[in-house]
Amino acid sequence: MNQESNMSANSKTDQSASALAQVPIENAKRWPDLNYFNKIIYGASSLAKGMKITFGYLINTKTVVTQQYPENRETLILADRVRANLIMKHNENGYHDCTSCHICEGVCPNASIHVVDRSEPTVSKKELGYFVWRLDSCTFCNLCVMACPFSCLEMTGQFESSTYDQSLLVYNLNQYSGATQNNLAKLADDQARTSAIKAISPYEGPVALEGYHLAGIPKEFLPQKSDAKTSQAREGVNP
Amino acid sequence: MKSLSFYIHNLYQNQQWLDFILYLGLGLILTLSLMSVVALVLVYAERKIAAHFQCRLGPMRVGWHGTLQTVADALKLLLKEDLIPKAADRFLFALAPFLTVMAALLSLSVLPFSLSATLSNMNIGLLFLSAISGYGVLGILIGGWASNNKWSLLGAMRAGAQLISYELSMTLSLLSIVVLSGSLNLNEIIASQAQGWWIWRAHLVGFISFVIYIISSTAETNRTPFDMAEGESELTAGFHTEYSGMRFAFFFLSEYVNLFIVSAIGSILFLGGWMPLHIGEWESFNALMDFVPGPIWFLLKTGALIFLSMWFRWTFPRLRVDQLMRFEWKFLLPLGLINLFLSSIIALGGFYFFP
Ligand code: SF4
Ligand code: SF4
Repeated sequence: MNQESNMSANSKTDQSASALAQVPIENAKRWPDLNYFNKIIYGASSLAKGMKITFGYLINTKTVVTQQYPENRETLILADRVRANLIMKHNENGYHDCTSCHICEGVCPNASIHVVDRSEPTVSKKELGYFVWRLDSCTFCNLCVMACPFSCLEMTGQFESSTYDQSLLVYNLNQYSGATQNNLAKLADDQARTSAIKAISPYEGPVALEGYHLAGIPKEFLPQKSDAKTSQAREGVNP
Repeated sequence: MKSLSFYIHNLYQNQQWLDFILYLGLGLILTLSLMSVVALVLVYAERKIAAHFQCRLGPMRVGWHGTLQTVADALKLLLKEDLIPKAADRFLFALAPFLTVMAALLSLSVLPFSLSATLSNMNIGLLFLSAISGYGVLGILIGGWASNNKWSLLGAMRAGAQLISYELSMTLSLLSIVVLSGSLNLNEIIASQAQGWWIWRAHLVGFISFVIYIISSTAETNRTPFDMAEGESELTAGFHTEYSGMRFAFFFLSEYVNLFIVSAIGSILFLGGWMPLHIGEWESFNALMDFVPGPIWFLLKTGALIFLSMWFRWTFPRLRVDQLMRFEWKFLLPLGLINLFLSSIIALGGFYFFP
């Protein structure tokens, strides 16, 4: 059973396996078949080799990889693989590729994504309304990025995401409600495009805990339509 | 009451007693301060050196390049809550850290920092030192036992087993130097190296004893690659799992003071202690070397050995318990015995270099 699943996994990762095969692998050095004294010499020489390497690290300060974070905030170098924040890619004109297909929503193991269709689509049959992402429950597994058939999502290294209020960690990734950039490109001019979409703020729509209200969201991010009771509660918590 | 005042009066009359008490007090204060300074400096050095061995920076925030980090850590440990587990043996639990610190203190008192700067110039200094280093493990054993924790107990038992084994080859390597120099007095051992340090003066024998000494002293101080007593990966923290605050600080302190002590003994026996480096006939070079005072030489040599020990710690893989024992009984001990035999031949025949 286990073997089978391994094999199927292998066939799926054929590409990477062949890439690995191209890397020359030095014949793995095993403990040589030596007698007592040669074993001592072999062991001592391998220890000396290790000491040489660490001494190189000690005297060569260029090998230090530590980054002193708050001081070097401007020059911080992060590896590409750092996954700290999910964004939706928007092109230079500010249009995204999301078709609101809900695949990422289904694939997320933590239900951290909630895709809301636009209630009144203008260009296509189905348009993205709100792409709600819950940073607070995301494990940064990257599954949504890999699953998206249109490569709309991206993981970035922007890791400074702490806030004083958990509800601020639930927000929209899309900057507008509306069709994809391809569908918008079919429209006549910029004016038509602008009227076909609706710009939204990160904390607009059914954001906080999927529609349930959480106190502490700054006023400027609050949706326009809210009943008096909840807005009072908001003001009470967040002056 | 009368007898007490009489006694004090007597003491006052008899100046020797007063001198003795004054000497004792001063010696105690000096040794204690030396101990804390050594521990503070060594902990900082270890953290920095370890960091650079591993391509890190180490402490950088407190003080210039983190120089005050250990002071801050010590303060923190002093202020921390001191927990004693409910099921622990309270008396022994409290006693154990003091025993280990006491052992370190006693060993420090006999080290000759220069010809004159020796607190106690014993004629059996080396014997005393090896006896005390055996006594130091008592604190570990008691601490592990009193904690009433299986990890602590396992760590303590390992420490005991390890010490008993490695004490043998350590003593054998010390003995070969005693045979060569013909004395147990540390100052006389140093004086016998005026012509050349034992590490190279006695052909290969001195060097082999040196290697054996370095290995067994690393085991003696329970440092990686022989850190069976702590064994972070399998025993949480070994014998001091249950210790916190001040008592933990004592264990920590004695660990680093012990490192200093074994390196100091190494430098005394094999590298000539406070003896300046002399090379054969180079008169001007020798005169220049003489210009550097003895304590500096002593500290330099000790520092070099401490660095070597740290280098080992951050490079070598750990041994398993059975490998550790096999290494000692099947390799080090026979080698030490052969070495002692050879050194006796050399001492009897007087086949030294630079006679
Ligand atoms: S990274 Fe993983 S947990 Fe986070 S939103 Fe994507 S699928 Fe969900
Ligand atoms: S982000 Fe990608 S997977 Fe998710 S709804 Fe949009 S198009 Fe579909």
